[in-house]
Amino acid sequence: MHSSLSTPTVVEHFFRHEYGKLVASLSWRVGVGYSEDVEDAVQFALMAALETWTKSGQPDNPSAWLFRVASNHLIGGLRQKANRSRLLEQNKIAEPDASDSAADAFFENEMRDDLLRMLFACCDEAIPRISQLVLALKVLCGFDVREISIRLFTSEANVYKRLTRARRRLRELEFSPGELNAEQFESRLPSVHTVLYLLFTEGYQSSHAELAIRRELCGEAIRLATLLAEHPVGDTPETFALLALMHLHRARLTARQDRFGGLLLLEEQDRELWDPHEIQTGLNWLARSSIGDVFSRYHAEAGIAAEHCLAPSFEKTRWGKVVECYALLESVAPSAIHRLNRAIAIAEWKDPAAGLAILDEFEPPTWLAGSYQWAAVLADLHRRNGSLEIADRNRKLACDAAPSPAVRKLLERRLQIDRR
Amino acid sequence: MSKQNYLCVVRSSSGTCEKPSPAEMEESYAKFNAWKEKFQDRIVDLGGALESERKIVTSEGVTDGPFVEAKEIIGGYMLISAENMAEAAVIVQESPACWSSSTNVEIRKCTAP
Repeated sequence: MHSSLSTPTVVEHFFRHEYGKLVASLSWRVGVGYSEDVEDAVQFALMAALETWTKSGQPDNPSAWLFRVASNHLIGGLRQKANRSRLLEQNKIAEPDASDSAADAFFENEMRDDLLRMLFACCDEAIPRISQLVLALKVLCGFDVREISIRLFTSEANVYKRLTRARRRLRELEFSPGELNAEQFESRLPSVHTVLYLLFTEGYQSSHAELAIRRELCGEAIRLATLLAEHPVGDTPETFALLALMHLHRARLTARQDRFGGLLLLEEQDRELWDPHEIQTGLNWLARSSIGDVFSRYHAEAGIAAEHCLAPSFEKTRWGKVVECYALLESVAPSAIHRLNRAIAIAEWKDPAAGLAILDEFEPPTWLAGSYQWAAVLADLHRRNGSLEIADRNRKLACDAAPSPAVRKLLERRLQIDRR
Repeated sequence: MSKQNYLCVVRSSSGTCEKPSPAEMEESYAKFNAWKEKFQDRIVDLGGALESERKIVTSEGVTDGPFVEAKEIIGGYMLISAENMAEAAVIVQESPACWSSSTNVEIRKCTAP
């Protein structure tokens, strides 16, 4: 997958990304409801490229070539379905004139706009969140059903079902070009953020051993979020903060695993392996996000990630600042898991008893009380506080509830009673 | 010793193979370009695909089949140059024609005056 393509114009993931751009562009021209016909046409064009380019070489503007072949195939296919001929008359597929570099740039811009519009179309309120994610992976990132099922840890049948339902919903809506209005763009922006956040988290948190696969999802999330940040429909402080947190987390992605694919704790990670370029990019976005009076959950999370990236060592981390960010996160996005994280930071900042104190105050919701995170934090804080019996009980609970062997191994190592 | 031309005929078990995903296609394209670069001077003619329609011509006239069993179809051809059969086999082994387990390639030396 990483062997470089010999022609410089065809960059990595060209086929996959071109697939997304073409599906978005053509769907917009004939109507989002025809996404299946559109996807068939795009698949056809890519197959044709594979055959033709390998034999006669690559055309000067590969994107325009693919657009032409796909739209011709689409028109041919739709024409055969007589009842759609009227639709075609209304929506002629204008062939972009790609004869000079200015036209090339225009073509690129138009394709990018279409991709973003498609992203907003996928985030329709009537489509369940996970299905929005599946739809985005299919039509915007160019993954097929099998590839999505691997990445989201679900069955192919489940992915297929979600796609079918989401497509039906899009068909019901019968978008015609340009139908999403400014209000809809604005009201759907938070959903778009959530889908991109989920996409990133899937790559970052998943217990998938294959680093390349996880990296790829993080990369897709960053690619789409960057497009969003550079476009008037999405250039808001929240988008910038979201991008900041993605880059700051990705900076540590490689260092989170040991040579055998096991997970490493923050304090065990080799900080030399953190990517300084990613950290800088993240900080730049963070600076851009600090305008206006919006403080979103993404700002808080990016702030926490930045504190960790900038700390010279685990001990020298400015835990007070981290605690502050978690408190802010709790106030803008109340969740018991944020409180749990604040307790950990407080334990590092002051002492384990202070961390336990804020957990004593409240009753965790059942989803958290039964989770390995809750038990693991209690085990760790109680052990360090000298309550070995409670610590050991929670250690067992945490190990039993671990979602993957990698996490279980990590817990066993971290929660040893006689540690340190 | 001068190089000889070898005709490579690509056979595949016929039928409906799954459509490749964009990621698989870009992988094929990358592999193909790498292969082409590596053996650039050895590829005489990249050939191409062969259509499935066929006829047999004899002195008796033109008839349909009997062709190779229906399960096996000839999908494409190419012409390469190599020192000998062993070298030709190495080039073909690394070629796109051999990446799938459902294809095989027959190599024949072309004797030309």
